[in-house]
Amino acid sequence: MSATKKTPAIKILVVDDDEDILNLLEKWLVDLDYCVKRAASGLEALQLVSTFVPDLVITDLFMEGMDGMALLNEIHTDNPLLPVIMLSGQAQIPDAVKAMHLGVSEFLTKPVEKQKLLQTVKDNIPCTRGPEKLSQFSGSIVFESKVMADVMEMAALVAETDVSVLVTGPTGSGKEVIARAIHDASKRRDKPFIAVNCGAIPEQLLESELFGHEKGAFTGASLKHEGLFQAANGGTIFLDEIGDMPLPLQVKLLRVLQDFEVRPVGATRTFPIDVRLISATHRNLEQAVADGDFREDLYYRLKVVPLDIPDLMDRPDDIPALVDHFLERFARQNKTEKKSFSADSMKYLGKMTWPGNVRQLINVVELCATLSKSKTIALGLVKKAIQEKPVEIQTLKEAKQDFEKKYLISVMRISHGQVANAARIAGRNRTEFYKLLNQYNIDPDDFRNKNTSG
Amino acid sequence: MTEEKIVVEVDEDLEDLIPGFLQNRNTDIGKLQQAADAGDFETLRSIGHSLKGVGGGYGFEKMSELGASIETAAKGEQLEEIKSCISALKNYLQNVEIKFV
Repeated sequence: MSATKKTPAIKILVVDDDEDILNLLEKWLVDLDYCVKRAASGLEALQLVSTFVPDLVITDLFMEGMDGMALLNEIHTDNPLLPVIMLSGQAQIPDAVKAMHLGVSEFLTKPVEKQKLLQTVKDNIPCTRGPEKLSQFSGSIVFESKVMADVMEMAALVAETDVSVLVTGPTGSGKEVIARAIHDASKRRDKPFIAVNCGAIPEQLLESELFGHEKGAFTGASLKHEGLFQAANGGTIFLDEIGDMPLPLQVKLLRVLQDFEVRPVGATRTFPIDVRLISATHRNLEQAVADGDFREDLYYRLKVVPLDIPDLMDRPDDIPALVDHFLERFARQNKTEKKSFSADSMKYLGKMTWPGNVRQLINVVELCATLSKSKTIALGLVKKAIQEKPVEIQTLKEAKQDFEKKYLISVMRISHGQVANAARIAGRNRTEFYKLLNQYNIDPDDFRNKNTSG
Repeated sequence: MTEEKIVVEVDEDLEDLIPGFLQNRNTDIGKLQQAADAGDFETLRSIGHSLKGVGGGYGFEKMSELGASIETAAKGEQLEEIKSCISALKNYLQNVEIKFV
């Protein structure tokens, strides 16, 4: 056999209980050099998904036994990224909507036109395995390490679909940057990307922020307000710190994700929405589920595809590339000459533990770039920059004392320096409480209202 | 009275598939007639549905239309309408002349 310049054939599985449809699709696809296997039922198809390992599946919706929708569900349980094109004799919108949100790539009506089908196949073949696509995707994200390369490959794959993604990772590791990159690489890139920090908005406001409210829905609601879900329609909504979302709101979010519609506070009707959800948290959601703080059903709906961003400390290979990237950005933003770190200072950066992750690295780099008088940043300056932002972990004793002091101050503030009241609030007797105040050098007088007493 | 020939243009790539395809449609006619005699609307609906899906893909738009009509009529249990569609389909298959392009 002579060598061809072609890459290995793309494998397509076609599923239909109608032999003539199978013949037709096979003929069309084989003519274009696709490698085709056919299945006459959902069960047969499932078998082939694991043995033939197709790159794409085309299935009929109505079939005896396992229908296309059930097949789609089964396929995506183990292969959430496998594109599935669904054909149906009925052009019923609810079916199409349901299928789209179950993760179907495209929904076509039968009889299907040859050109239309082949174009759809072409559009949906995953081409992310090629290095080209990956570098294109991750242009905005800087990494050298293998662990990050794996995360990025996964992210590039999910970008092409509408499945929900849960990004986990420590604070400052760049969860929003990844979410944004997924949006920018998706078909939704021309539509809005809206980021919401669920932990930063008070519970009462969060619902109306997300889902909107009608005029007069509650005191102060003098105007109708469109929620962020509606504002993100057609695009992506990024819910950061989803682990901080209060339980009652979790129920509402779940309903939105199930029904693809929102009901603003005080509204009698719902509005259909088409939004891709990416959520993130630094918390251990599995633990939160076990503790009853987070709904299990919502958890599974959010993390169809989990992306875990590692600690910066666990990927030191990325540090030189990141440092270079931030130095360049700093120089560009400040219209100054780009500086660089000396070899020993770079080595030093690579050995730090970075509890604040990439965000902390940015701070250190920018501080050094600002303070360094020479083009090369010296080790002394780096040490100083890192020291100026103390990051060392406290001992338990120190942490307890720290907390105790803050607590005492807040109780004193509440009681306006009245030690008897403060002691009662804290559940201690007065003598004990005075001792504590002395221990931390807290003077009750500082909390008394000087104007009335003097 | 001679029936007028109905010329249908079919993609020449499909030439090998056409004999089997037409044979299956003749089988469908038999099944449709049986089902109509038995008043089996579920079978009528199902065959109508598959005819609708398969016809147009091969280039037989009229077949898809008739399939759709049978499907709709079966849902409404309109037997007379179904019978007239079956005979239209039979007539179509008998007089269709395929031109491979």
